[in-house]
Amino acid sequence: MTTQDQVNTPPAEGETSITLPNIYVALTDAPLDILSIMDKVRSPEAGAIVTFAGTTRNNFASKPVHSLTYTSYRPLALQTLSSIASTLFTKHSLKGIAIVHRLGTVPIGEESILIAVSSAHRKAAWLAGEEALEECKEKVEVWKREEFEDGGVWRANRDGVQGVKVEGGRNILAN
Amino acid sequence: MTTPKPPPGHFTILYFASATSFTAKNVESLPAPLSLKKLFDVLEERYKGIKDSVLDHSLVTINLAYVDIPEEGEEDVIIKEGDEVAIIPPVSSG
Repeated sequence: MTTQDQVNTPPAEGETSITLPNIYVALTDAPLDILSIMDKVRSPEAGAIVTFAGTTRNNFASKPVHSLTYTSYRPLALQTLSSIASTLFTKHSLKGIAIVHRLGTVPIGEESILIAVSSAHRKAAWLAGEEALEECKEKVEVWKREEFEDGGVWRANRDGVQGVKVEGGRNILAN
Repeated sequence: MTTPKPPPGHFTILYFASATSFTAKNVESLPAPLSLKKLFDVLEERYKGIKDSVLDHSLVTINLAYVDIPEEGEEDVIIKEGDEVAIIPPVSSG
């Protein structure tokens, strides 16, 4: 097995997903579609659908970002997404929950994550929607790389301010 | 990603994000069995500086389950032939 030629080769697997009753989670290389994710949670028993769309920003702390690329450990990320969705489904007595994350290069201003939750009444859906995003950002095994004019940075959600700057295969902590 | 099977007597190790940048690899095979306690030392030997730069801030999975690196005096975990190990740097989804 040669390892060198696998470097930076994006996986071309299209969409991988886990579907459980009223629960849908997926990772996809394709642009996201808010209507199709709403349809995953639509229910005659629901009085509310709350959706969240995370979009890619053109700067980090005012520094221009010219592109963003997401990579993932797909089987583990799907397992984590599924666990988050199942937990929230039960906790908030939801009618449906769907979470889809886009991978690969995502052009600035496009959606990188979509979340849709449905519930009998709006309060549960608002709460579950917010909690789903926070849980994803903390746990799901997806990594964002921001490319600046002077190089790239692997962002880390947990520190919020600094990422790991990449210089010729070596990393230094960005200031 | 579709992970290739490691050759006999080896396990697979996957690198992501900063671990990929540091090693310039997404995946490789290392000799098994290996003590989990020794994993970081084995990687440090191959990629000088990776411990401070990457591993100390990362988590480890074996076959899609998170494992704690055993401390001195704690019971060890053995990485077996055919296992899939992954280095998980801090995540940044969303």
